[in-house]
Amino acid sequence: MQRLHARYPFLEAARETVASETVELATVVERDPAVVERAVERVVASLEDGDTGEPSRDTRTELLSYPVARVLVSAVEENVLVRKYARAEAEEAHDRFRTEFEETVELKSAASSGLTRETLLSEFDLAGDVRAVEGGYRIGVGAYLPLAAGCWGDEWRLVNRALSDGEVPVDETELHALLREAVRARVEEGLPFAVPEEIVDSLEAEVARVREILADLELTREIDTVVPDLFPPCMTALLDDIRKGEHLPHHSRFAITAFLASIGMDTDEIVELYRVNSSFGEEMTRYQTDHIRGETSPTEYSAPSCATMQSYGDCVNMDDLCERISHPMAYYERRLDDADDEEIEDWREAELEEA
Amino acid sequence: MEERTRAYLRGRFRDYYRRTEITPPPEADEREWGFIPWTDGPGTTMVRHRSLLELGDIEDFLERKRPRHVYFSVGRYDDPGAGSMGEKGWRSSDLVFDLDADHLPGVTLGEDSYAEMLAICKDALYRLLDFLEDDFGFSELEIVFSGGRGYHVHVRDDAVLDLERDHRREIVDYVRGIGLEYDHLVDRETVSGLGRKTPTERRTLRIDGGWGRRVHGYFMAFIEELLNLPEDDALERLTAFEGIGEGKAKATLNAARNNREELEAGNVTVHTAVSQLAERFLEEAVERDNAPIDEPVTTDTNRLIRLPGSLHGGSGLAVCRLDRAELEAFDPLADAVPDPFVGHEIAVDVEEGGEVELGGKIRTVEEGPQSLPEYVGIFLMARGRAEKEKE
Ligand code: SF4
Repeated sequence: MQRLHARYPFLEAARETVASETVELATVVERDPAVVERAVERVVASLEDGDTGEPSRDTRTELLSYPVARVLVSAVEENVLVRKYARAEAEEAHDRFRTEFEETVELKSAASSGLTRETLLSEFDLAGDVRAVEGGYRIGVGAYLPLAAGCWGDEWRLVNRALSDGEVPVDETELHALLREAVRARVEEGLPFAVPEEIVDSLEAEVARVREILADLELTREIDTVVPDLFPPCMTALLDDIRKGEHLPHHSRFAITAFLASIGMDTDEIVELYRVNSSFGEEMTRYQTDHIRGETSPTEYSAPSCATMQSYGDCVNMDDLCERISHPMAYYERRLDDADDEEIEDWREAELEEA
Repeated sequence: MEERTRAYLRGRFRDYYRRTEITPPPEADEREWGFIPWTDGPGTTMVRHRSLLELGDIEDFLERKRPRHVYFSVGRYDDPGAGSMGEKGWRSSDLVFDLDADHLPGVTLGEDSYAEMLAICKDALYRLLDFLEDDFGFSELEIVFSGGRGYHVHVRDDAVLDLERDHRREIVDYVRGIGLEYDHLVDRETVSGLGRKTPTERRTLRIDGGWGRRVHGYFMAFIEELLNLPEDDALERLTAFEGIGEGKAKATLNAARNNREELEAGNVTVHTAVSQLAERFLEEAVERDNAPIDEPVTTDTNRLIRLPGSLHGGSGLAVCRLDRAELEAFDPLADAVPDPFVGHEIAVDVEEGGEVELGGKIRTVEEGPQSLPEYVGIFLMARGRAEKEKE
């Protein structure tokens, strides 16, 4: 039980375990440095890597670090943090349950907690809305819409779905993605909450640390300089593909568009940059770009990390600098820092001159 | 509108409400209510943020106030009478659709008659119901003639009550066919090539639901047509499409002849030309099947909407709840005429004459003082085209 709860601390039952075992969260925060440290890692990793860091070997520490991390997120009181943190917890849970569902009964790994798809569906009150059919699942449209709203990609839009009789057919991968969104909503629920004064006081140093990291990321977002020559190799390759009119899988389009949005380009500019390719769908690009930039959806998406790029096969032509960074944004920042100010000519200004 | 006219309409609205039983919407006491009184100024002011607690029994209220228009909210709240949405405490909302002749493609305002507009609107309503009943599988549907230029549909299935604005927009886009992409209607599956080394990709148009089914329907109808034509005519039909030359036309025709069953099953891999051709029916499907509903009405979870059973103050017609079974036979311009207004004549002074289609008749009304059936007189007065004369 403990292990299940430590692995999936957002479960209702995990919360009950915490409630019954803990004296007071305030006491934990004050007396249990290991828990606090792990909680800080959860939050920091959510910002820096989009995951929740290395789990503690001690189940109790691992389990308690979740509510403490929520306290920390609440104490910092920043919407960006709430979003990124919830997203990271959901991604992590998604990775874990996917692996676990795939394991056969005979081949359970040591980490396995016995979580089943059915349990997870019931946890989110979806048992009545999802049924298994040949080749996949069917989910009730009322349950589908709120969950799919957080998923990126036009294939999630209802209009592109084979809706019939009030149900949307989904395959297994898609069902898991919807469950990830359910986790995200659960984690995000109630955040940030009011944290008692005394807890805020004992977490002072940790709060400051998270704020600092946030401030650094904020800087990153304000780069606002567009010099395609200095883009990391992966983004250069993707941009070339788009301009050649190649049909990119959506994770790739997402990656390049999110990257461009993060360096300060607005929708019109991105559309303009892609335009070299005559066959690209302007309207779709607009929709996707607005979506990524958080204008048509509540979530703002940030560009994927190198690890994610690698897992999708989008990391190509790595160079020396690539060895030293873990995020394409970091690559671009370094190149900008290293370049002479004179050399930097913003693509947008160049466009203006031409026009 | 002159005072005499207003007094007359108020009086007759009261008579109507005295004789009419009003069935309020479910959970009427959790909803916000609003109404527009008969006022003399040019502007209309809506009185809103009222709860039933304040209004009292709805039938009593209507009889007492005999408002010009009356509405209730699609939303249900903890405190429906609170002055702002924040304070109300949202609980859930019906999902509503509004088809209004003013926004319908195919309607030429100022040219089409009232009856023609309403007929076009009814066609659109059938298309909407097709989506709501078949695709969405909704069962708690209430169809309403608005008393004005169109129809409303209220959906109260549990599955939709909690949906927020963005989720409702997805439903709007679905019934309007916005954002539809052929690529996503097609399933891709890699099949190991028979005898060949390279595996091939099998692409199947999803015909088990959604827009894929509709696109496929139009595509197959066209194939059917092709097969019934002499070869030359069939090829001509095909080459009429931009981008289809003789070669592609021949290949397509062959595929239609030899792989008919595959095509029926949605397999568009039989030839690249076939897939390209199928894609062209996407636009046709959207054009012919989409339901041009008024988007803001559906996405607004706090919308106020006309009360079925009440009178529309801009026409003097009744807002009618319609049984699905009686929809076919329903003629708004005859069936929505309130009974109390039928069977006698009144004196009016018509300022703007012209054709009036009401009560199953088209009559040309002259300008000037005259005697007209009451419902025609009320219609013209409510529209501001006539004033009441002394009897
Ligand atoms: S290492 Fe990172 S920055 Fe470099 S190419 Fe790969 S994904 Fe891009």
